[in-house]
Amino acid sequence: MSISEAGKRRDGSEAFSHLNRSIESIRSELGVDPVSIDAIKDPTVYDLEREKIFGRCWLKVATNWEIPEKGDYKVKELAVADASVLIVRGKDGKVRAFHNVCTHRGNKVVPTNDFETFGNARANVLSCRFHGWVFGTDGALRSVPLEDHFGSLDKSCLGLKEISCDTWQGFIYINFADEPEQSLDEYLGDFGNLFAGYPYHEATTAFRYSTVLECNWKVALYAFSEGYHVPTIHAGSLPGFRGIEHSEFKLIGPHASSTIYGLGMETAESTAKFAGLLHSDEHHGPRRDFLPPGINPTERSDFQFELPNIFPNFIIHLASGCGYPGMAYFTHQFWPLDHGRTLWEGINYFRPARNAAERVAQLHVNAIHRNAWLEDTATMEDTFTGIRSGAINEMQLMDQEFLIRHAARTHSEYLNA
Amino acid sequence: MIKLPKDFADLEALAGKWARGTEHERNEIRWTASVQDFAEFYEQVLPKLDSILGELAKHALDEMDGQTENLFNLATAFAEAAPHHELYDGSPVVPHSFSARRFVPGHGDLASSEVHLR
Repeated sequence: MSISEAGKRRDGSEAFSHLNRSIESIRSELGVDPVSIDAIKDPTVYDLEREKIFGRCWLKVATNWEIPEKGDYKVKELAVADASVLIVRGKDGKVRAFHNVCTHRGNKVVPTNDFETFGNARANVLSCRFHGWVFGTDGALRSVPLEDHFGSLDKSCLGLKEISCDTWQGFIYINFADEPEQSLDEYLGDFGNLFAGYPYHEATTAFRYSTVLECNWKVALYAFSEGYHVPTIHAGSLPGFRGIEHSEFKLIGPHASSTIYGLGMETAESTAKFAGLLHSDEHHGPRRDFLPPGINPTERSDFQFELPNIFPNFIIHLASGCGYPGMAYFTHQFWPLDHGRTLWEGINYFRPARNAAERVAQLHVNAIHRNAWLEDTATMEDTFTGIRSGAINEMQLMDQEFLIRHAARTHSEYLNA
Repeated sequence: MIKLPKDFADLEALAGKWARGTEHERNEIRWTASVQDFAEFYEQVLPKLDSILGELAKHALDEMDGQTENLFNLATAFAEAAPHHELYDGSPVVPHSFSARRFVPGHGDLASSEVHLR
């Protein structure tokens, strides 16, 4: 069966051909030997990860469309950095990140009661509830009650402590280093180019799930990094998945990517109705033409989604409506809370529904995918228990698991740097 | 009594049982449903699903009257419940899965008809 026209490649795709690897070259570059699981098992690795990975790398913490208006903010609790991070859009429209720490005596400026807190800074100021110190959304300390009662107080030096912050394609990243070794563009490198240009910002309807998993963060990351598990673990929610192919392997510095192709599954009757409503529509349906040119360069009709690992803890499954019906893309992120605890976040992004029927159909697709995630997450705590038991010392990895092999190698390089 | 548009009035008893605005509320109902509950819901709604979606397609999310919103909530509950009948043999939990109660929907307390779910 011919899925793409022989030899045809999309314009612009050749700029990414240096990233592509055959299975032979993947095997030769990354090896075929089993990979040690010490970095998952050994609790002392966590302190090194905090310093050498999460303290150095650019980390995605928000999106532009989560905080679209001036004064909108998001606070993200990041245990891996012992930090509460305030990401806020200033009066000038610029997004900045700060430690959510009052410079008076250290209280949180924005109180939080969850891993993520959203709000809007009225009049573009945030006021600490402890003693009423007032900060602008640009971080500057604006006013201090009873200021003349301080013997010495230089307000100009007491703004919120800023964290390096930059944006790629609407995804907001921070870097905890005082002076990041690379700009965000440099850090993302060819990954940033390969995934650039997709209208991510148009898919603003987000269904987000999170859970705390009693496992090391890399167990969760690796479980979502391959397509080998799909026919088995998803036999319930995605039955009879046919023609699944995990290929188009790409190595991109600390990042890597690959493509999931597939001919679909046995569609239940209700799914056929809901999916049909989205799939047949120009606004929600498959838009291979929206994909950046290096992704699905031969325009195969069985393209499902691109599966990358963005070091250290982020995945954007770029589908453009081709995989799960109507879904533009979905993301995963894995935040260590401790060596053996992980906050997993999964978000399904759709283009906004233009009517109530489209929203219902999106909720069906969202539910099927949420259920598939429940199947995925079922393995993670068991895997970590198994690894901790000492019964095995290494992972056996097949070709489709090369993202894991690559991530483990990158992890080791960062820890040894 | 949850009122539905008159063409769907025969589904009002089902709406009373299933139609809720938020994912949290619908989850609680689905997690305690029986094989028979799922089968009854499925068999009564599936034959009308095309006309329900046809009616809902006439309305923007922020322009639904109360009865249409009830129909939306019923359709949404069906969208989430149908896989339990079709794929999971009527089980209220996804077989071989992680605990759904430990999965936190960030949008769980928002009405699913909210225009902006970010």
